[in-house]
Amino acid sequence: MSTMTDTNPTDVPQSILKSPKHWRNRIAGHHWRTGDEEFDAAKLGMWLFLTTEVLLFAGIFCGYAVFRMMYPEAWANGSHYLDWRFGAANTAVLLLSSWTAANAVRCAQLDKQFWLRVNIIITIACAALFIFIKLKFEYMVKLGEGKAPGTFFSYPYAQDPHEPLWWSLYYIGTGIHAAHVIIGAALFGVVLYYAKRYQAYGPTQYTLVENAALYWHLVDLVWIFLFPLLYLIH
Amino acid sequence: MMMPTLATAQPGALEKLIFGPKLPASEPAAMADGLFMMITWFSVFFFVVLMGLMFYFMIKYRRREGVPTEPSPHHNTLLEIFWTVVPSSSLLVMFVLGFQGYTQQIVSPSDAMELRIEGNKWNWLATYPNGASSPEFQPLSRKVIESADGMSSSTIKGRDYPIFYLPENTSVKFRMNSQDVIHSFWIPEFRVKRDVIPNRYTTYGIKTPRLTAADTYIHQETGEEMLGRDMWVFCAEYCGDEHSRMAATLRIVPQDYFNQLMEDWGVTGLPWEEGEKIYKQMCASCHLIDGGKLVGPPWNESSDANGQYGWGYPVSLESGGTAERDANYYRESILDPNAKIVKGYAPQMQSYQGQLDEDDINNIIAFIQTLSEVPPNPHLEGEGGESESEAGNQAEEAAGSES
Amino acid sequence: MSTLDAHAGHHEEGSYLSGPPGIMAKVWQWATTVDHKKIGVMYLFAVLFMFFVGGMAALLVRYELIDPMREVLVQTVDANGDIIETTATQGENLKDLFEGLGMHEDLTGTQIYNRAFTLHGAVMVFMFIVPSIPASLGNFFLPVMLGAKDVAFPRLNLLSWYIYLFGSTFGILSILMGGVDTGWTFYTPYSTTTDADHWRVVLMVTAAFILGFSSILTGLNFVVTVHKLRAPGMGWFDMPLFIWAVYATSIIQVLATPVIGITLLLLIFERIMNIGIFDPAMGGDPVLYQHFFWFYSHPVVYVMILPAMGIISELLAVHARKHIFGYRAIAFSSLGIAGVSFLVWGHHIFTAMGELAAVLFSGLTFLVAIPTAIKVFNWIATLYKGSIVLNTPMCYGLMFLFTFSIGGLTGLPLATLATDLHLHDSYFVVAHFHYVMMGGTVIAFLGGIHHWWPKMFGKMYNEPGALIGMALVFIGFNVTFFTQFFLGTQGMPRRYANYVDEFQTLHQISTYGSWILGLGMFVHLAVFIHSLVAGEKAPANPWGGLTLEWECESPPIEHNFHHEPIVKHGPYDFETTVPPHWDPKDYPIHPDAGKATH
Repeated sequence: MSTMTDTNPTDVPQSILKSPKHWRNRIAGHHWRTGDEEFDAAKLGMWLFLTTEVLLFAGIFCGYAVFRMMYPEAWANGSHYLDWRFGAANTAVLLLSSWTAANAVRCAQLDKQFWLRVNIIITIACAALFIFIKLKFEYMVKLGEGKAPGTFFSYPYAQDPHEPLWWSLYYIGTGIHAAHVIIGAALFGVVLYYAKRYQAYGPTQYTLVENAALYWHLVDLVWIFLFPLLYLIH
Repeated sequence: MMMPTLATAQPGALEKLIFGPKLPASEPAAMADGLFMMITWFSVFFFVVLMGLMFYFMIKYRRREGVPTEPSPHHNTLLEIFWTVVPSSSLLVMFVLGFQGYTQQIVSPSDAMELRIEGNKWNWLATYPNGASSPEFQPLSRKVIESADGMSSSTIKGRDYPIFYLPENTSVKFRMNSQDVIHSFWIPEFRVKRDVIPNRYTTYGIKTPRLTAADTYIHQETGEEMLGRDMWVFCAEYCGDEHSRMAATLRIVPQDYFNQLMEDWGVTGLPWEEGEKIYKQMCASCHLIDGGKLVGPPWNESSDANGQYGWGYPVSLESGGTAERDANYYRESILDPNAKIVKGYAPQMQSYQGQLDEDDINNIIAFIQTLSEVPPNPHLEGEGGESESEAGNQAEEAAGSES
Repeated sequence: MSTLDAHAGHHEEGSYLSGPPGIMAKVWQWATTVDHKKIGVMYLFAVLFMFFVGGMAALLVRYELIDPMREVLVQTVDANGDIIETTATQGENLKDLFEGLGMHEDLTGTQIYNRAFTLHGAVMVFMFIVPSIPASLGNFFLPVMLGAKDVAFPRLNLLSWYIYLFGSTFGILSILMGGVDTGWTFYTPYSTTTDADHWRVVLMVTAAFILGFSSILTGLNFVVTVHKLRAPGMGWFDMPLFIWAVYATSIIQVLATPVIGITLLLLIFERIMNIGIFDPAMGGDPVLYQHFFWFYSHPVVYVMILPAMGIISELLAVHARKHIFGYRAIAFSSLGIAGVSFLVWGHHIFTAMGELAAVLFSGLTFLVAIPTAIKVFNWIATLYKGSIVLNTPMCYGLMFLFTFSIGGLTGLPLATLATDLHLHDSYFVVAHFHYVMMGGTVIAFLGGIHHWWPKMFGKMYNEPGALIGMALVFIGFNVTFFTQFFLGTQGMPRRYANYVDEFQTLHQISTYGSWILGLGMFVHLAVFIHSLVAGEKAPANPWGGLTLEWECESPPIEHNFHHEPIVKHGPYDFETTVPPHWDPKDYPIHPDAGKATH
């Protein structure tokens, strides 16, 4: 089965399109000429929104680059303090969830209501696992050692005076990313509710599934940049 | 059109209207003025042409009932290319001239005299190569009206601002940094400013002008008319409450006089005189010594609704309770200002740890002691507060052995 | 077309203003509406209220500046040189004013002044001028001019409005708690250290942060609307230039606002948790903040001016009954300005940056002057052989050309490095950006409001009254701000509560000008109120406009059009087309019309 998320699935059998599901009754908002146009518009809007998200994180990456240039020592030390194995585990978790998110879209297109829900549940579970690893093995442990941002920094064995700055950027970058993970999971929660309660998504109506998945891919993508920058580069 | 002769040329009426009565003080400054005038004439030309056409069309093509709009082309490629290319090339000229002028204004020769400029809220402090800093101050303005019976009344505006002396016809490089927030060191007559930033140095250079016989200033102490040229220094980057009073006077004087000052200032005075210097440089923007209230409490013996001020008196604290105003109290208030907040005031002061050494703190405390009737005041049987600084200045040479 | 009519059936609808009976029902209908027109009208009143608040702060600022120095000491000395009398007089106008009103603030005069100008800047920028034209007139007219029934995402539009209200509430709260003294730019490290122990600065920064989201969502909505909801027959180059301008604006909003979002977020963290990114004491870089800040705030200058330019294109064409000259040049220059605007932020910090960067930014800054100049030339050329009527909207259109040209041309010495070293952070800059922001945006906004007032509310305004207001605004504005150019070149720094005596005359003239300007604004307010209460009923197309909003009724019906409009003529074909709702008898066509080259 392909995991491609075509906007216009032509390979859907006619029998599916005739089944009595909620999604079949949906009509476009009054100001749209057709449902297709509405779908295209919603996707264009989502892409624009993703652009703004990229630019938001660009600010953090820019700060990272500037201070890395100013204090290379602190930055090298900083990434040594991070355990790449937790980062890699979280990367794997997010990649898996991205795959299930894409699957969810495909399932909606093919009207596989059960697998749609399963994929969404796995995605949400992965989000929870990601947050759990982040909190339990990284944030809690590091804060306990005094590796806190800015003036809260009290780690006694710091070798560079600018390490508090590194931790500031670490917590802000991963923290804002984690907030996005939670928002994405909540979005999938809404999708799950509609999918279960109304069977609201099907071959001609899967806008919200698609947009939630798009958002989720962005969350994944940001982590793909954060992981090497924070954990791997010394 | 941008000849160096501009530097020596007398400004016309328009230049006077635009830049005020004060002449540009250096050649790059005069060239910047020239460039400004060039841009202004360019702008005036375009503005007059555009507005002329606008008003002409407005009248010529006013609406007449029943008369239809006459058709005309909706665009004209040649015309549009023309009015894109011609202004663009003028802009290129401005850019290049501006770039050239900029390098002349910013860069200073390697043998320039270096003046360290420090900005703090809300003072300028200049340190000369020999480590001295200026002990001279003057208010913003002082107008004296004498009446027939020998009485005179003088109107004084502003607190005392430091006077930075510089020798004439010398290249000077300012090496600047800030103790707290961002400031900007602007000398309007040199047509140049640069931001003064914490944790890094910024620099720029000026070449002080030659003095002519017409360049005179009134000395703030003696009232004498002397050869030299006063100009204002302003802080141009917003820095808080007293931003608008973060000023200084730059005084260009003959080389001999400058050398003499350098020799004089190398000498250390009595502790309270040194303390008064520090007070004027660093403390006077927040603490008055005439009982008035600024951001911080006054230092002299006085009282208001919140309690009594001055050395030796108990202080009511914002947190409740009282403390004794003794040497330890003042030392703590300088190094850890938020430890004890005087009733009626906000925790606004920053720590001077690292900026003032032990000697400086001692000297400030000695100065505070002179402002109170409570012992040990070395002036107890002497003069009042006002004549003190004059006495201090005259005693400068004599005080060489002290410290 | 037919798909729309199938489930439309809007033929008997009333005006969008007619709601259910009963006050509470009306309030509920407005509060929950997804109608872009209602949202646009709510925005209009909100931004005008913010303009009033910011304007009052401006008058306070000017009032303080009548006198140069607050602390004046008069010493009387007798013949022996002894001081016999010392009197201190206080020239603190604002403090005296507040105390006269019975408010005993525990602040010094300069502290009150600093709060007043910060209030003026922050309210005017974040709560008035950024949302002003796009969110009010844009919201109302963008869908109508495109022939659509609503914006692409009506509920998102309502969300933007509530985010705007929410953010503004934070700002107002901060002001009520005593205001902030950071300046609207929140420069670090001043903004992170001032007013320690107080939440006011955090509240104000949070307000700006939240307002950013409103701006992003509105921009996003408009971009999608323009792409997807143009009426049949309306190609990209058949769109009115106002739409082009709002489109370019929206792109800037979407791309630039997130950067200020993260910047202000970092500032909030810095303030609450001392993370140190902008704190020099911890190795942070305060100038980095300025780069981040201006990366947003320079493009946002064009968010302010581009919609104004769009309005001017409409005003001049309609009231001169003339096809706009160089349509494509104006459309593309909007996009060009939007593009270049992202590359020129550095000119705000010439005095804080290295030489090489300064030269680069200076060059790029000159680039942005070119598309702007092209627009002005095109507007003047549009007037050629027109049929010009000098009513209030047109007078504002022409006033825009006058003031905006001054604003644009005085940008040149600021872009030129050698002269900027002197003029930077002086009153010259203050005058320059007021000529662009107020002389540009606010003037165009006023023109636009008068132009579309009959359409929005179905009432005509009183023309002589509005013309008097316009004249007062013109005189007051120029008296207030032209003097400030001279203050700047003579060496008066910005944001000064006290100044040296030599600047007093110019400052006084400027203050008197601000009173005339304020009076003009109150005349306009009176005219608007009079129109709402007792205005004549407006015809559907009072000016003879050709864009689609003039095909609607005045005010438009709930879904704008009875039938989906089909575009048959260009938005500016005044020479060949009788406007909708007009009798051909009243609109003579020139016999040569249509033969002109295109």
